[in-house]
Amino acid sequence: MSRKSERLVNLTIALLATKRYLTKSEIFRTVEGYEGSPEAMERMFERDKDDLRSLGIAIELGSFDPLFEDEAGYRISPSSYKLDLGELDGTDIALLSVAASAWTGAALERESTSALIKLASMGLDSDSEALSLLAPRINGTNENFTVITDAIIRRSEIEFEYVSSDLTKQRRRIAPYSLRGQSGSWYLVGQDLEKNSLRTFRLDRIVSEVSASKKSNTYVIPDEIPDPGADEVREIARIRVRKNRGHQLRSHATVLKTDEEWDEISLPIVDANWLLRTILWHRDDVVVVEPSSLRKQIVQSLMELRVLHG
Amino acid sequence: MAKSTTTPLEQTARMLDLVPFLLSHQGISLADLAKHFKVENDVMLDDLNTLWMCGLPGYTPLELIDLTFDSGYVTIRNAAPLAFVRTMSSSEIVSLALGLDLLLESADKFGEEQSARIRNLSNKLRTQVGEHISIVSGSQTAHRSLVATSIAQRLPIEMTYFSPSSDTKTERTVTAYDFFYDNDVEYFQAYCHSAKSMRTFRVDRIVSAVLSDVTQEAPSSQGQKNERIRVGATIRVLDRSSAEAFSLNYSELREGAHVTLEAFSPEWLIRAIMGGAGSITVDEPEEIRLQLRESLEATIALYE
Repeated sequence: MSRKSERLVNLTIALLATKRYLTKSEIFRTVEGYEGSPEAMERMFERDKDDLRSLGIAIELGSFDPLFEDEAGYRISPSSYKLDLGELDGTDIALLSVAASAWTGAALERESTSALIKLASMGLDSDSEALSLLAPRINGTNENFTVITDAIIRRSEIEFEYVSSDLTKQRRRIAPYSLRGQSGSWYLVGQDLEKNSLRTFRLDRIVSEVSASKKSNTYVIPDEIPDPGADEVREIARIRVRKNRGHQLRSHATVLKTDEEWDEISLPIVDANWLLRTILWHRDDVVVVEPSSLRKQIVQSLMELRVLHG
Repeated sequence: MAKSTTTPLEQTARMLDLVPFLLSHQGISLADLAKHFKVENDVMLDDLNTLWMCGLPGYTPLELIDLTFDSGYVTIRNAAPLAFVRTMSSSEIVSLALGLDLLLESADKFGEEQSARIRNLSNKLRTQVGEHISIVSGSQTAHRSLVATSIAQRLPIEMTYFSPSSDTKTERTVTAYDFFYDNDVEYFQAYCHSAKSMRTFRVDRIVSAVLSDVTQEAPSSQGQKNERIRVGATIRVLDRSSAEAFSLNYSELREGAHVTLEAFSPEWLIRAIMGGAGSITVDEPEEIRLQLRESLEATIALYE
């Protein structure tokens, strides 16, 4: 049993139930759990206020009568404490419950569990049975998830170590703009504060804890976040792909011409390294026509692989 | 998973949420209560014992929260100040909003009214946390729900499945048995009526699927899971995409290190080694090296 949690609950009850502001001395005298020297109680109270704030409970500071210089007091206004999602009925609760259940085993499981508890406490009958077969599921167990979402909402800068393509670790400091889930991965877009440009990071390549600055609202998220690197002029690759093969390449390409065995496609070179590797991956189902630099690189890699496995 | 340890702050949050939950679930069993809060029974018992000592200043029986739980069923009285359901944190709202994003992807299964409802709820939550955290394409929700239905009702699904290891799309009829996770990727076991054997599929590789109303005989128990092949390999160049392809731990990799690679099929393995562009070499077995050489010769021939 924890004395601290008991004191925090008692403090919450006292500040919620009171109609007027309670002074510090009233709190220390009447709320169970405040003990020791005045300084010790003072420190305890400051920590308790911070702890309750971290749970989303706002403690108001005010005085009894604005005309007199009274000692300031504290209370929690029921309207700020209370959940207010507007008008909801049983079907809404059922839909929200199915949405929350998507996190089973994933990053926000703890948060969605408490959200589910709150929904279930609203005293509305909900029938989620019929929806349960929808069973949406969010993947990813990244422990940095909540730090990043909080930082985006608070507009706070974050810092982390990121694995680059040659596996070296780089310290990155960014102003996070958005987090999006796409085809099973999470992508963070933000302004890199050292490189001074917009970058995309894949969450599972962050190899340290993400630390967020305590300062909020230190930057503004632009209304339109451009696709990082979208405005670059790109070289076009021409590639021959066997019929019904090369699906990964085809999804980015347009077909130029076809014969019995092959299709010739063209696609912009967005990520040269990705393209090189994807072409190699497709073995003898794909041949590069141009640019010749890419053709050369492919042949070089193939020769190297042959020597290594000879 | 049920939690067996907890911080004072987590306990505080739970106790505050316990009161309105109990008020709307009077007489719930201790075990059910623990299950809802995803904690061990002991943790829940400690929460109740602590909450029982809490109340309004004065702390006489008149002011204390009145809990009864010694018979294994919990009831609560005299808890007025904490009767409100507590407001949600931004992380809680985010968890709901992202869950709704996924539901919206399969909105066509709901009909107009329900989709409008989901959009409406989503907008409501987004006013509190903004638009910047979202799922743009999970694309798995609709397919996943079909697989779940197949498991629950023993009905086959007809699907188009993309198999990157052979770079082909195939039409298959399968009856699913269960989901499982490996390295954050979701798979399911299913009896493939086309191949007449047990197979493993990735949910995210289903291109399209419909529930089939033709009942097909499927074995009632699962067969063996697919065997994995293992090969010995050497890291030549530190390379992120090879590490990711073979699920190797970034921080354990050194140049010159010997590693064991696992794969479901030799074809996939050879493609991944070639796609590694020389960053990883296969040492053994000789059989795989031979297949790799053949593959390389055939590809090189296209450039000659």
